[in-house]
Amino acid sequence: MLDTTYSVETPEGVDLRAQAAGPVPRILAYGVDIFYRSLILIALAIALAFAENAGLGIWLLCSFLLEWFYPVYFEVMHGGQTPGKKAFGLVVVNDNLTPISWSASLLRNLLRFADFLPFAYAAGVVSMTLGRHFQRLGDLAAGTLVVYRRESKAPQTLPDVTPLPPPRGLQLQDQQALISLIERSGELSEARQRELAELLEPLTGKKERAALDYLRAVGTWLLGGQTGGK
Amino acid sequence: MELERLAIRARLRSPWESIDLGIALARQHWWPLFIVWLLPASVVFACSFWLLHDSPSWALLLVWWLKPVYDRLPLFIASRALFGEQVSVSGALKQFFSLNRRDWFAWLTWRRLSATRSYDMPVTLLEQTSGSARAARIGVLHRKHSNAATWLTLTGFHLEFFLFLALLAFMYLLIPEQVQIDWLPMLTNSALWLEWASNVLYLLVMAAVAPFYVVSGFCLYIGRRIELEAWDIEIQFRSLRDRHLRAQKDRQKRAAHATTAASLLLLCVLSISTLLPAEDASAEAALTPEQSRETIDQVLAGEDFHQQEEVSGWRLKELDMDSEIPEWLIDFVQWLENRQLASDKEREVDWAAHIGLLAELLLWAAFIGLVAYLLLRHREQILQSLRWQRKKPETRLRPETLFGLDVRQSSLPDDVCAEVLRLWRSGDKRGGLGLLYRATLAHLIESYQFEFGDHLTESECAQLVRQRQAHPQPEAQRPVSAALCELVQQLTVAWQQLAYAHRAPQLAQVETLCNQWQEAFGNED
Repeated sequence: MLDTTYSVETPEGVDLRAQAAGPVPRILAYGVDIFYRSLILIALAIALAFAENAGLGIWLLCSFLLEWFYPVYFEVMHGGQTPGKKAFGLVVVNDNLTPISWSASLLRNLLRFADFLPFAYAAGVVSMTLGRHFQRLGDLAAGTLVVYRRESKAPQTLPDVTPLPPPRGLQLQDQQALISLIERSGELSEARQRELAELLEPLTGKKERAALDYLRAVGTWLLGGQTGGK
Repeated sequence: MELERLAIRARLRSPWESIDLGIALARQHWWPLFIVWLLPASVVFACSFWLLHDSPSWALLLVWWLKPVYDRLPLFIASRALFGEQVSVSGALKQFFSLNRRDWFAWLTWRRLSATRSYDMPVTLLEQTSGSARAARIGVLHRKHSNAATWLTLTGFHLEFFLFLALLAFMYLLIPEQVQIDWLPMLTNSALWLEWASNVLYLLVMAAVAPFYVVSGFCLYIGRRIELEAWDIEIQFRSLRDRHLRAQKDRQKRAAHATTAASLLLLCVLSISTLLPAEDASAEAALTPEQSRETIDQVLAGEDFHQQEEVSGWRLKELDMDSEIPEWLIDFVQWLENRQLASDKEREVDWAAHIGLLAELLLWAAFIGLVAYLLLRHREQILQSLRWQRKKPETRLRPETLFGLDVRQSSLPDDVCAEVLRLWRSGDKRGGLGLLYRATLAHLIESYQFEFGDHLTESECAQLVRQRQAHPQPEAQRPVSAALCELVQQLTVAWQQLAYAHRAPQLAQVETLCNQWQEAFGNED
């Protein structure tokens, strides 16, 4: 099964999972960062225009600092997100999925130099595209990767049905599918939902509308709805 | 459509994750996709080379403009690969014209510059719709994900261009410094062969990027369909149903077996009961599976499984780290600004020098601060490296128990020998000799700095003592006298015999040992 999931197993046997982020959103996030950085530099240039040569010197210093330490600052101090990454919901983490450390961030950003070669981050893009977890050279050296931050789901309004206990022998994935069905009841067409519900006819012994209603009731039960009725 | 054969994991994805999945899928099948894209494109390229030989830019534009034509074959292969079906390159090339029949004119004219090309193409190619049906379908698809599709196209376009430049730069880097090429006339006169060479390069770059672009758009489309049609739920429900049916069949089979077995049993019982005097046959009240299932249902529906708990408590909130610039820094900067303004008004001539001086001072201060910090941080290591010859005495942890005996000095009585003999006479031989033995160990550890570890046996400890007696190391450790060594050997043997073989020594031997012990350690306390 092809997927972009990155998973780590902790010593306690807990599986941690994250979705590794590929080249396209990362390039776009970098574009956003470039945009912010140039805004800052332009503003600085205007502000320092009065100081002629000294101003130029300060501006060059600032551009140096921005180039090399803008990502480091944001990655370490702001939870692994530069403004561009924030816009795309990306986070840099260590490859054991812990928050990124100073040394790792410094290393991965200093190695932008290698990724930039021979021009315009070509090496970085190629490495990201070919690597299993979309890591550029700096990521590989520093042992970091970029993953998607999991958005917290907005609370769903459940359909108003009386919860019913589920049939025996449901596995975790089955329960999740049932819950997913009830959560997406607003997005899926009614006909499709009935079709899906009828798939489980041997299990529920119900058809059409009744089958869907039953599955919804079970889903509400699984989500912790109050039992009534029975 | 057989969702069981899906080669990707069906789950809800954000549009960006779908694009990433496309990258991964294209990476897996990159070679066939690349060749299938490149071959038709190079045919067009060759034609344009003959027709538009003198205007390479127009030729490249023509090749570029016909991209939707070449995009269809990679899309076709990817759509089959998604369901685990391998299409060979030649097999795909044979379908070139049949795949390009639908809507080719639209794709080459008003839809050529569509920003969501790779996202919309599957509707034409795989769903085989056109006209109003297509429009309706596109409308549904575009309600989400169209934004990401646009960005995908933009990124692809720029990537092509930048990779082309990077390739040029790479080749330039490989030219040895000694080779002097006069670039200027070449670039200004734009030699024809140079332009065609760069066109070939651009074609290769386009062919390399195209699989990723096409398959990413396709996966975006698939991601949207998974969302719209709940493929993930369908796959899960199907597997649940199959599992259920299988289990049911198993149960029926078992039930059939059970009934035949039961009838046989009944026959036996009947035949026996006719011979034996009749007894109460309904004594067994075993639960049938149905009854036990009912019980399970009752238990599951009962109170135990429907308890709700409300938990409330205090937790540490995530701290707001945004405004951490200390007050004094702001004041200082303000003070600096005011001072500069004031000095500007006074003397407008050499304020630049002032700023320069200030910057220099600040840099020096930062440098000194950094050095001081580093010195402070690593003072231990620095001091140690300065006085490397003087070793720190290693403080080893002394064991508190050995072989289950407490060997701390503090656990010993004041007069060991008297206590040993008292215990011995009272009949507790084990306790007596044990006390003597562990007192010896304790003194060896305390006064002679022996390092007895948990891994040693009694005889190994004794051997260590003998070794030190045989090869004394004058500067390092306190030497062991021959008498002490002898005591340890004898005592160890005696203790081992008593402890493990339950053979107690004679009282006289114990007394001798006590005397020797008194000589060895008695005057230390």
